[in-house]
Amino acid sequence: MVQDVAEAAGARLTPQADSLIRAAQRGDQDAFEQLVRAYDQSVLRHAMNLLRSPEEARDVYQEVFLKVFRNLHTFRFDCSFHTWLYRIVTNVCLDHLRKRGVRKEEPAVVETGEGPVDRMENFEEGSAVANPERKLWNRQLQERIEESLQELTPRERMVFELRHYDGLRLKNIGEILGTTEDAAKNCLFRATQKMRSALGDFV
Amino acid sequence: MTCESVGKVLSLYFYGELSPAEEDQFEQHVHECAACARELERQRALSAQLDRRQAEAPSGLLEECRTDLMAAIQGGAGVPDGASASPWRLFLKALSHSFSGWSRFQQPVGALALLAIGFFAARMTTMKTPGIEAGLVVTPTDQSFSTVRSIQPNPSGGVQIAFDETNRRVVSGPMDDQRIRQLLLAATREDNPAVRVESMDLLKGRSRSGDVRDALLNAVAHDPNPGVRLKAIEGLKPLAAEPDVRKILAQVLLADDNSAVRMQVVDLLVEHRDDAIVGVLQDLMQKENNSYVRLKSEKALKEMNASLGTF
Repeated sequence: MVQDVAEAAGARLTPQADSLIRAAQRGDQDAFEQLVRAYDQSVLRHAMNLLRSPEEARDVYQEVFLKVFRNLHTFRFDCSFHTWLYRIVTNVCLDHLRKRGVRKEEPAVVETGEGPVDRMENFEEGSAVANPERKLWNRQLQERIEESLQELTPRERMVFELRHYDGLRLKNIGEILGTTEDAAKNCLFRATQKMRSALGDFV
Repeated sequence: MTCESVGKVLSLYFYGELSPAEEDQFEQHVHECAACARELERQRALSAQLDRRQAEAPSGLLEECRTDLMAAIQGGAGVPDGASASPWRLFLKALSHSFSGWSRFQQPVGALALLAIGFFAARMTTMKTPGIEAGLVVTPTDQSFSTVRSIQPNPSGGVQIAFDETNRRVVSGPMDDQRIRQLLLAATREDNPAVRVESMDLLKGRSRSGDVRDALLNAVAHDPNPGVRLKAIEGLKPLAAEPDVRKILAQVLLADDNSAVRMQVVDLLVEHRDDAIVGVLQDLMQKENNSYVRLKSEKALKEMNASLGTF
C-alpha cells in the first residue's frame, strides 16, 4: 500500500491512499505513520539536496511532518495529497533558504552518519582519480556549479530542484508554489540560463 | 524557429515540457543549426554534472527523523490545530480518566453527565457578554467542562455524581501585556502537554525577560514531555553563551533520554565553546549512542585539541 501511495505523487489519489489519509484525519496514528513513511524519503532527499546539510534536513523533516500532523484535518481532497504536502515542504525549505540570508558558502566537507565526507570526492570518476589534472578540473567544475546554484533566487532554485531532482512537471510545480505554469517555466528558464552562463567554457 | 526562440525554450525542450508540435520545430532547427546543437549539448553536459551532485541523506538519518517525529507527536507537540480547543475532546478525556476501572457504568453515567453539561451550557449562554478589563478583552463562552469526582449508585436505582465544573473564558490581548504573560507562564505548568508546547512557543522569543528565562530553564531540565523541552531549547538559543544556562544545558545533555533533545543541546553547546564543555563532551562520549550527537561532540573535541575520552 505504501508503494501505491508514493506512486500517487502529483496524480489522482489511489483509493488506498485516500482511505489512509481519511483514517489519519480521524486520528489513527498508525495510518499517519504509514502516510509519513510513504512520502518521507522523498521529502528528506529534497531537503538534503537543497540545503546540503543533514542538520537542516532533519529540521525540515520535523517541521514539515508536524505541520502535516497539525493541519491534516484541513486537507479537503481538492488537489493531490502530494501537491498539498509539497506546498508545505517548499514553504519550509524556502524559509530555510531565505533565513540563510547572505548566501553562504556550502562547506566542502559534509557531516554524515559515517563521519565527515568530502562532497567533491563523490564527483571523481573512477578512471579520473589517478589523473591529477582531471581531478582538479572536476573539482573546479563542481565548485563552479555550486556557486552558480547559490546565485539563483530561492524561488528559481526551488523550481529547478523540483523539476531536475524531483522530476515534477512544471504545471504541478506551479500548483505547489501557488503560481502559474508559465511563471514556473520562466523560473526554470532563468535558472538554467544563469547556470549555463556561469559555467562558461566548462561544459 | 529562430536561434533566439530556440534559446528561450531549450531548457523546456530538455525537460520535456514542450508540446509535440513545438518539439518537432525545435528538433528541425537544431538538426540544421550547429550553434544551437552545441547549446543543447551544453545543457546535457550541465545536467549530467548536476546529476552527480545529488545528495544522499546519511544512513540512519531517516530512521532518526522518524523516531524524533513520533516522539514529538506522542509527546503532544503535534496536537492538531483546534483539537486542544474542542470541548468534547476535553470532556471525553476527563470522562475516560474519571472512569478508568468503571467500564461497567461508563455508558449510562456518561450519558447522564452529558445531560448535565447540556444544562450548564444552556445556562451559560445567557451570560455571553464580552467585557473589557483595562486593555484585555474577556469573553465568557458557552463552553463548560466537568471532571467527575465520585459516583454513588443509590438503592432506588438512581445514581449520585459529584463533579467539578469549569467554565471557559477567553482572554485576548497583546503579548507584551503583563497579565497575558502571567497566563502564559501559568500555562507552562499545565497538565496538558499541548498547552505547555503552545505557551513555550509563544514565550520562547522573550527569553531575555527573567521570569520567561526561568520558565524555559525549568522546562528544559524538568518537563516530562520532549516536545516541550525542544521548544524550551529553541527559546534558550540566544542565551546559550551564559554560564548558568550552559550549566543546565550540560546536565540535560548528559541526562536526557531523548535523542532529539540531546541533538539540539549539543548544537547549542558547541556553538559557544569554553573549557567547561570539554569535560562534558568527554563524559558524553563514554555513553552516547546517537551517531549525530557523537559526531558533533567528536568534532568539537578535535577542534579544541582535546582527547575524545577521559583516561
